[in-house]
Amino acid sequence: MTTAAVPAPSARISPLAQVARLRAWLFLILLAATFEVWTRIANGASFVLSVYNLQAIAIFASAPLMLGLGQTFVIISAGIDLSLGFVMGLASVVAAHAANFGLARLGMGPAEAALFGIAVGVLATVPAGLVNGWLIAVLKVPPFIGTLGMYGVSRGAAYLLAAGMTVAVNDDWYGAIGNGRLGPFPVLVLLTAVACVALHYVLSQTRFGQHVYAMGASKAAASRAGIDVRRLTMKIYLLSAVMGGVAGALYTGRFSAGAPQAGEPLLLDSIAAVVIGGASLFGGSGTIWGTVAGAFVIAVIQYGLVLVDVEPFWQFIAVGGIIIVSVLVDQTQRRFLGGRVDE
Amino acid sequence: MDRRSMMKFAGAAGAVAGLGALTSPARAAGKVTIALIPGLTADGFYVTMHKGAIAAAQALGVDLIYQGAAEWNVALEVPVLEAVVAKKPAAILIAPNDKQQLIAPLKKAFDAGIQIVCVDTFIGTGVFQTGSGDADFPVSYVASDNVLGGKMAAAALGKAIGGKGKVYVANVKPGISTTDQREQGFKEGMKAFPGAQVLETQFNDDDANKAAAQFQAVLGRAPDLAGVFGANLFSASGAANGAKQAGVAGKVKIAGFDAPESIVAQLKDGTFEMTIAQHPAEIGYFGLVAAYAKVTGNPVPTAIGTGFTVMTKANIDDPNVKKFLYSSK
Repeated sequence: MTTAAVPAPSARISPLAQVARLRAWLFLILLAATFEVWTRIANGASFVLSVYNLQAIAIFASAPLMLGLGQTFVIISAGIDLSLGFVMGLASVVAAHAANFGLARLGMGPAEAALFGIAVGVLATVPAGLVNGWLIAVLKVPPFIGTLGMYGVSRGAAYLLAAGMTVAVNDDWYGAIGNGRLGPFPVLVLLTAVACVALHYVLSQTRFGQHVYAMGASKAAASRAGIDVRRLTMKIYLLSAVMGGVAGALYTGRFSAGAPQAGEPLLLDSIAAVVIGGASLFGGSGTIWGTVAGAFVIAVIQYGLVLVDVEPFWQFIAVGGIIIVSVLVDQTQRRFLGGRVDE
Repeated sequence: MDRRSMMKFAGAAGAVAGLGALTSPARAAGKVTIALIPGLTADGFYVTMHKGAIAAAQALGVDLIYQGAAEWNVALEVPVLEAVVAKKPAAILIAPNDKQQLIAPLKKAFDAGIQIVCVDTFIGTGVFQTGSGDADFPVSYVASDNVLGGKMAAAALGKAIGGKGKVYVANVKPGISTTDQREQGFKEGMKAFPGAQVLETQFNDDDANKAAAQFQAVLGRAPDLAGVFGANLFSASGAANGAKQAGVAGKVKIAGFDAPESIVAQLKDGTFEMTIAQHPAEIGYFGLVAAYAKVTGNPVPTAIGTGFTVMTKANIDDPNVKKFLYSSK
């Protein structure tokens, strides 16, 4: 990745807009405070000052967040990647098969087999990402349709490879990557944190990141400014697929099995996390930290409502309601600040 | 793998039919074609059911068509049904995706002279050949008794937790007849343990990640949680992972439903205390036999209940238990 001395987008933004950019974090703090009061009343315990709660929420947020990180780049570039739902599952199944192959046929130890499984699983997503990029950049297929096609293709491939079932893996090392801890930190959460920092750097500090914003704001302008939009599009969808691959390979470790449908329920959560985090589906805006906050907003609501024992059917309403409120706040803020309003 | 076994089956069926031509002219006169439409294709349960149907088809010299939709959706299942009807099989075994919405499409097939057998799920009330109602035309309903399966889970889990403590049901989403019945059966079964308390059910939308977080949240509120009944595979494995992440694996007992091959290791390492295996191959086998009997003019029971096997660490290596693992092979 080329590192250029370009200013981060935040450097050009007014102080008021800076506060607005932290909206998702403010929202998260508000939610945490609400649950703090609620759990103290309902359970007589603290919500925030509990290592147990924080670990559980962080693990819960990790999976949709891993998908959401790549999705952030895609959405900023004014695209969408629906294929992630099953690209993740494909990677999960391939990783399971590869780890088993490594153990049984290549004479690998459990640690090597785990790494081999993860590497092959992630590599398996490269064609999906390249085809997505090619469809969108070269054949000018709308992202929604192109990636929906890849959603189907990777789904079929994953189910074929798994013969319609789940693929068991018995590898303690692989299991430890999915379920182990370093001190109080779950390994899964640490890996997600590393990915967040790395991709935040890429998005905010590199020329590639700047080009993603430029393309999302105006493809024509970006092209006139000399950006190779085709190449850029390929790179963005490749990044997204690879992040889906990482999420899938980690899923296999966590559940000791590769599952084709691993990512299906996470896809919408990952998109919601990006949007709650302040990205516009029309492109040009969004940040990695916003997406992090978005993923935690969803995780805190879902976890918190169960912790305080809200009846399950109310949980559906609460989660949907909070997504609507979040988007409304976003729209209002854009109007107020004179930014582009999604209509 | 599926396709290979299909071809193997086609070859074997051809051979059986060939033999039949020598020994029994009646059978050779018209080879019976029977179709199986699963609730969805991408599911170990139906893959195994298909295997059972293949075994019966081979034994009877029947041509078997297997076609289904990739997901549980009426709008996808009906076109598959219509395409299968166009091939004019003598009978269709189907797992209807909806009790009500599949009645009309299946009635149309029935009126075209095709016998209908419901497998796993049903239309109308699931009580057939009564001479009343608009959905009593199927020949038979062949399935596990899911209420009974839930009760068996309660009996086994209740015993494992010593009859006391808190338990809850991890379920997919409301409105699916089979998982609703398992939950109902489990709650009825738990009444035999007055020392145990059944908490609110948690719905996870078939998302293992969510089921894991829900487990941790319930445990956070109820540290004396003793057990969880996962009403399907992802609910159970999600709850089991929650227990692992919370460091209470093996302490809080997890009872699962269904039995993919991955369950073996998880029973052995204590991730699962037990799982209730259905017998999908039996459903496929007896469903096909029922359809064949009807087509060849023999009487058929209107309901055939297939069994369950409770799998635990102690019995999983027993070949008589192991054979009920779901498998495509």
